[in-house]
Amino acid sequence: MEMLLQGLYNSLSPENLFACVLGVLLGTVTGILPGIGPLGAIALLLPLSFGMNTLPTLILFAGIYYGSMYGGAITSILLNIPGEDSAVVTCIEGYAMAKKGRGGAAIAIAAIGSFIAGTLGVVGLSLFAPVLAKLSLNFGPCEYFAISIFGLIVLTNLIGYSALKSSLMAVVGIMLGTVGMDGLTGISRFTLQISGLQSGLDFTLVIMGLFGMSEIFQVMAEQPVASAGSRKINFLKQYPDREELQRSLVPICRGGIIGFFIGLLPGPSAVLSSFLAYAAEKKCHKQPEKFGQGMIEGVAGPEAANNSAAAANLIPLLALGLPFSPTSAILLSGFTLHGITPGPTLLTQHADIFWGLVASMYVGNLLLLVINLPLVGIFTSLLRVPVNILMPIVMLIMLTSVYALTQNFFDLGLLILFGFLGFLLKNGGYEPAAFVIGFILGPRIEWGLVQGLLIGDGQLSAFLLRPLSGTILLLSASLLLYKLIQAANKIKKTGGIS
Amino acid sequence: MMLKKVGVLVGVLAVLFTTFGCASMQEKPVNAVQDFPIRPITLIVPSTAGGGPDMLGRAIARLSGKHLGQNMVVLDKAGGGNTTGYNELAGSQPDGYTLGIVTPSLIMQPLYGQTQYDYPTALEPIASITSNPWTLIVRADAPWQNLQELIEDAKQHPGKIKFGHAGLGTVTNVVGEMFIQATGVQIEQVPFQGPAEAITAVLGGHVQMYFGGPAEVTEQVRSGNVRVLAIAASKRLNQPDFMDVPTFKEQGVEVVYQNWLGIAVPKGLPPQVKSKLAAGIKAIVEDPEFKQNLGMNIQYFGPEEAAKLWQDDKERLSKLVKETGLAERIAAQKK
Repeated sequence: MEMLLQGLYNSLSPENLFACVLGVLLGTVTGILPGIGPLGAIALLLPLSFGMNTLPTLILFAGIYYGSMYGGAITSILLNIPGEDSAVVTCIEGYAMAKKGRGGAAIAIAAIGSFIAGTLGVVGLSLFAPVLAKLSLNFGPCEYFAISIFGLIVLTNLIGYSALKSSLMAVVGIMLGTVGMDGLTGISRFTLQISGLQSGLDFTLVIMGLFGMSEIFQVMAEQPVASAGSRKINFLKQYPDREELQRSLVPICRGGIIGFFIGLLPGPSAVLSSFLAYAAEKKCHKQPEKFGQGMIEGVAGPEAANNSAAAANLIPLLALGLPFSPTSAILLSGFTLHGITPGPTLLTQHADIFWGLVASMYVGNLLLLVINLPLVGIFTSLLRVPVNILMPIVMLIMLTSVYALTQNFFDLGLLILFGFLGFLLKNGGYEPAAFVIGFILGPRIEWGLVQGLLIGDGQLSAFLLRPLSGTILLLSASLLLYKLIQAANKIKKTGGIS
Repeated sequence: MMLKKVGVLVGVLAVLFTTFGCASMQEKPVNAVQDFPIRPITLIVPSTAGGGPDMLGRAIARLSGKHLGQNMVVLDKAGGGNTTGYNELAGSQPDGYTLGIVTPSLIMQPLYGQTQYDYPTALEPIASITSNPWTLIVRADAPWQNLQELIEDAKQHPGKIKFGHAGLGTVTNVVGEMFIQATGVQIEQVPFQGPAEAITAVLGGHVQMYFGGPAEVTEQVRSGNVRVLAIAASKRLNQPDFMDVPTFKEQGVEVVYQNWLGIAVPKGLPPQVKSKLAAGIKAIVEDPEFKQNLGMNIQYFGPEEAAKLWQDDKERLSKLVKETGLAERIAAQKK
């Protein structure tokens, strides 16, 4: 506690505070700009940090990281274009709310949810980091396999109305997830002799194409309509009312807890946790059929989840020195270039740095709330820009950001291709979200299966005999059975597949 | 009204930028070779931001202005086991404005199957900068106190002990194959996606061993999470964390592997440009600021010595990859 207070004192020094403000501002901008995420932003800024002192640099980078989780929601809600991978789910209810004129409220709730859950995550980080890091080591390939199977079953039919179409999309997602060089045999799968496909399809690229680019095409294809915001915007009415705040409180806490635990696992945890939080809200709500029409719970839960996931994702990095996501890998290199090796010795040898950084995250989250809330009105007035001006700008930003990230023209082609694919899917009544679930989880299932089999000498029983993976698999099997029985009953009743 | 003013301001700024921007870009008539370098140099890193090659690249780029007279821009072009970046480098103009970080993978990749270029002949080294011997780590509470105990156990229980590696055909895999070949024991490989996942699996007890570079494992060694059983150098290291670790050779196992990182250019650079680059890189490496925070063992070789290093490693690795069947395993699948 004393250390934390000392850290707080350190983090409030002018230099550190400035780094924190700069970090969270850059993070917010990073979040808003579709295509460029914290990974790209930190990579681009790394060379600029050489002249800076150590602690401010770390504060700056961490600020960009969790700050981007705040900003990601804004374009999701206003334009139906996710600013960040982790804000995909926010599009669903957020954009529906914006269409009803409650976009400002959605943004404000996203900021409040992010603040509460982000702070929750940092509390977890400062209290239990070493214990939780040790706990996360118990998750081996078998557990990842089991948990990914579970995720696939729970999440596939999350959005959209036809279970059949959603399942089909998930399968296509799994198939496209296999593109690239297979890790076990070195065999090239579905690369069509194109070298750009050798390392597989980039996750951010697919999401930006399917959700961002496709929305731009959608707008292009529709009859030119007066932009939604040409109506007068009443600034005061942009904030959530009492009822909305009340409805959001429980989802924020629930999302925060889900995000925190998923954040401890390797992989794209921020995205997964936001999907899971959405699923949880839909399951817990009394009127799940209303989801998709602008339910504030569907914004609050996922936005809270991705923030606490971001905080939790720092735990393995800081406590073990092991990066569990590409973003924490770039943070690791930023740390190392400044002479700080994250890991168990960080707490003993550089306690001042560790606590200074943690304390700055409390400060940063508060700053983000203070910065974001007053700006809600300005953000929503973005909608006053006619779409025929706004959308080309967004498209340009997206293309530039993707190029800045991968430096590869081929990827721009892929982005546009996935944009068309997303456009066709949406108009055909297929849900790209189910595709993303398959795309994320498919490779994890395969890796988990292969590694688990290798470790267990080829015995499938290895998966069932480990207590954790066995339990999860059993649970998944019963859930699947339940769903099938439910579907069978429905078919009996209605006499056809809906 | 306000908006209009802002608009005018933006317009004026834009005009200013274009004029000055163009003015500074206007090229004076220069002798391209004599005055090299006259514009920023691109440094291609063949792997993702955050890895060893990237860190080295950035450490070099940081001092480039001071010693080469021009800034260096680091481009991370990851993918295809480093080949994406190497292809870009080999296909660039040999004018000295495109350099690349290279690792022994430039030798290994062509051994696994057809690559777009034969990198050891399409590229030529400017310098070899770091050299790190590989280590063998096990979890701190593993039953084996030394290499001999591990080998004994592996002989008695073939297939029981697993080693994790960071990807098929990567150094972490190849050194494991070296170990298997040298000892004749039967240990099984488990591939992971990158070093972090493989080390995590060792810490969690899911696999028992990992062959990794000192930079990757130092933090775990310091914190007492893992034990280093052997180091693949010809003599013990004088780094404090590894001082007491015996070499493989001392323990009767013939495994020596030094993983180097260096800088290469496409073949055919004007000699003057090449020597300027080589001198500049040498000055960067010798700058005391360069070593700071890099966490790698610096061992500088100039262009000729580095070329010899490539040649030696090529012979050795070709033989190894063939003998262990690693090449066939990958090549057969690639067809």
